[in-house]
Amino acid sequence: MRERIRSAYHTLFGASARAFGTLSVVLLVVLAVVPARDHLREWLHYQNEYLNLIRNRSDGLSLARRFQGGVQQIWLPELGVVDRCATCHIALKEASLAGVGPQPFLPHPPIPHSLTEFGCVMCHRGQGAATTVEEAHRSTLAWEQPILPARYIESSCGECHERPLTGTPQLGAGRAMLARYGCVHCHKLTSPESRTVAGTDDPPPLKHIAAKTTREWIFAWIKNPQAYAATATMPNFQLSDDDARDISAFLIGQSTPYTTEAIKVPPVPATDDAAALQQGSSTYGESFCASCHAMQNAAGLLVGGDLGPELTRIGSKVRPEWLAEWIRDPKTYDPDTRMPHFRFEAKDIGLIMGFLESKTDSDFLANVHLSAATPSQITHGKQLVVERGCAVCHDINGVAHQENFAPDLTAVGSLPLSKIIFLPGMPHTLPDYIAAKIRKPRSFGNALKMPQFTLSDAQVDALVTALLAQTSRGKTLPPALRIPAPEPSTYQPAGRAGQLMNDLRCFSCHTINGRGGDMAPDLSWEGTSVQRSWLVKFLKAPNTLRPALIRRMPKFNLSDEEANVLADYILTVYQTPAFDRDQIGASKFTSGDAAHGKDLYYGKYACNSCHILDPNKDKGYIGPTLTQVGLRLNAAWIFRWLKNAQALRPGSLELNWNMNDDDARAITAFLMQPKAPPQQGASK
Amino acid sequence: MANLVEEFAEFRKSRVWRSVFRAGSGQSNLHRSLAVQQNVFLHLAAVKVRRRALEFGVTWYLGTLSLACFLILTVTGILLMLYYHPSVPQAYADMKDLQFVVSAGVFLRNLHRWSAHAMVLLVFAHLFKVFYRGAYRPPREFNWVIGVILLMITLFLSYTGYLLPWDQLAFWAITVGSNILAAVPLLGAKIRFLILGGHTVNANALLRFYVLHCVILPLIAALFVAVHFWRIRKDGGLYTGEKSDD
Repeated sequence: MRERIRSAYHTLFGASARAFGTLSVVLLVVLAVVPARDHLREWLHYQNEYLNLIRNRSDGLSLARRFQGGVQQIWLPELGVVDRCATCHIALKEASLAGVGPQPFLPHPPIPHSLTEFGCVMCHRGQGAATTVEEAHRSTLAWEQPILPARYIESSCGECHERPLTGTPQLGAGRAMLARYGCVHCHKLTSPESRTVAGTDDPPPLKHIAAKTTREWIFAWIKNPQAYAATATMPNFQLSDDDARDISAFLIGQSTPYTTEAIKVPPVPATDDAAALQQGSSTYGESFCASCHAMQNAAGLLVGGDLGPELTRIGSKVRPEWLAEWIRDPKTYDPDTRMPHFRFEAKDIGLIMGFLESKTDSDFLANVHLSAATPSQITHGKQLVVERGCAVCHDINGVAHQENFAPDLTAVGSLPLSKIIFLPGMPHTLPDYIAAKIRKPRSFGNALKMPQFTLSDAQVDALVTALLAQTSRGKTLPPALRIPAPEPSTYQPAGRAGQLMNDLRCFSCHTINGRGGDMAPDLSWEGTSVQRSWLVKFLKAPNTLRPALIRRMPKFNLSDEEANVLADYILTVYQTPAFDRDQIGASKFTSGDAAHGKDLYYGKYACNSCHILDPNKDKGYIGPTLTQVGLRLNAAWIFRWLKNAQALRPGSLELNWNMNDDDARAITAFLMQPKAPPQQGASK
Repeated sequence: MANLVEEFAEFRKSRVWRSVFRAGSGQSNLHRSLAVQQNVFLHLAAVKVRRRALEFGVTWYLGTLSLACFLILTVTGILLMLYYHPSVPQAYADMKDLQFVVSAGVFLRNLHRWSAHAMVLLVFAHLFKVFYRGAYRPPREFNWVIGVILLMITLFLSYTGYLLPWDQLAFWAITVGSNILAAVPLLGAKIRFLILGGHTVNANALLRFYVLHCVILPLIAALFVAVHFWRIRKDGGLYTGEKSDD
């Protein structure tokens, strides 16, 4: 062996001429290999494959003409984008190749942004500068950020768009859940405008909890809120029996009495009084309690809104005297509740109570047997309440509100992988980590405080999407690209009407001047739109305007005086600055105008496709019924609406007709024309 | 052909040639040593070399190989400088460009990197070879000191170059290294501030390391290399282990 090496060495380097020759050959090989390797890069293979793909297509010639070989890049210095993805993803703009070739030869689905203005990694993440498959898509030694899985792609929209978008339902749902499931109570979420995201759930105060419910119910509820109501947003804290016993002992112990107005409620009908139950059920329905509260029906399906808590087992929860006072005026118990003050008569309160008290579930509390609380249990309960962060959401006597209880999630979408401790066996990516954290927080350690949520896969995906949108890039993007959420409004109407609107909790459902909920129409310009006599009638006995809608305005049992105060305020204050409500007097229309309008209504514009004007003939169920429209709306509003509805109510389903003045005037005349006398029972 | 040789011989007598190469032609020892001594490039080399000193076994060519590495590093370094910006957002992006789009960029960078590793290795090997053969003894003790200085410069070049890719490895290596500097008694924090141009590894540190790596240290290295070679000649040529002739 030694001999052989020696002879080989001698052959190659024995004399200076041989050594020179050998080194020259080595140099020559290097000089040949380096440029060859440089030329035969991975992307060349894909470009050749693409040319093969389009060769025999009928549009192959024009495709080939648009094809550019070599490294293709999108360079956007102000965004820090150098994306070479188009080197292999050649057909991004070739719509004719949709569904034809395998990746990387598929065109990009249509999106509202230009690919060349935003590049690729802005939305897809990954390494844009790379020209090899491995480096561009995956997490490698030299690049941490892999491609974002397609199911979370909407998160990238959320990096710039803070306002809700119609095209990103998953992102919207995730953001709504962050606010609704109380995530933002413990975890701080700050927008790039330094605004903190507020919760939209309504965690009840617990300061007078003993008046509302029993210790047994609290015990069962905190053990498993979803056993009481499947829709409960409170998570499961996975408490032991002893811990739940002590917390319930403390909560009852800290409770103080609250001042009520003693009212005389007629005796609640017995639970077997079928007629009274039926009557209570009707009152519950007629008051539109179901607009906000859901209840399981006989088939086990949830029916009703989600603004208030589910009432399926309410009879097992609340004390009757509390319920009576709550139905009379919820604000005496919870000054911040979203529930309106219905002006119920004592008789109705009794009927509704009878109906609600009958909604019991004997199984729920069957196995709860608690002996009297000892002082040490109460002390331990208080300690647990502090440790578990109950006071982050709930007002509790003797426990201070806890701020920054959990890690700030403002930039969780940019969390470096190197800072994450993954579980054994889980994929090392950020979305997988966030999803695992949401799915089973305690799998990361039993000492962790985050409770267990009950969420479907789609809900977890939505939450992950919303959290991935929370990147640190928001602050570095050019301000021109950012679409911040609207400033939260602190609008407060004045005077007696303002008091009434607070009392009736109008803002729980309606938005006015930027403040309020989105369940019901925006009322900022309501005064321009409607006529006073109709409004007063509507406030006293609301009926739905659209036949297809299930959500309806509750009947508040307003007095004449209250309805008039509200109508006056709305008519005076909630006006559009764009035009004068009395600009077009309905009296000036001639019957000729109306006849021409009728032709246009049924002919040229086919309004009857969506609207019902004549209940015996028309079949349109999309837009509001127009049978009474001449008594409801002002002529000027109808005229402007016909010309450009979107300017009056952005996002309305009404098409933008861009009608000329003559047509709009004629149809307005036709709609304002008195129709058959109002039907009886219009409040249905 | 003979004509050409004659013409060239004639040209060497011309005024132009004589103004550049002043030693004049001739075969005598004087002419030969003058030709070397009066040429800035040649004068570092010895006029005469022992045949034994050129054998592989004597030096293992460690010094020459170190020089070869230095030359390769200079050439590839200059080419890399054409693509590299010593600025915070750009430095790493330039690495990526070298990797993905520059022609033979990966080869260029790898050549620079491996040559740098090889040079550190070779310089150390050179030092050990000199030490164990006793070549540091008088009259070569001064050149030994120069050699140690060159070793330090090599290490500094290696260290400053390490920051330039501006990746996590670079950042933390320099953070650790500069914190070691800060452990120097009394002046530690000042020295670190001077080297980094701040209290943490940041844009200033990157710029400083770039200037050190590409300008200051190579110039100092070239200077000391020159002195090193010159001393070899002055100290009686390469150490062969035999008694010198003079």
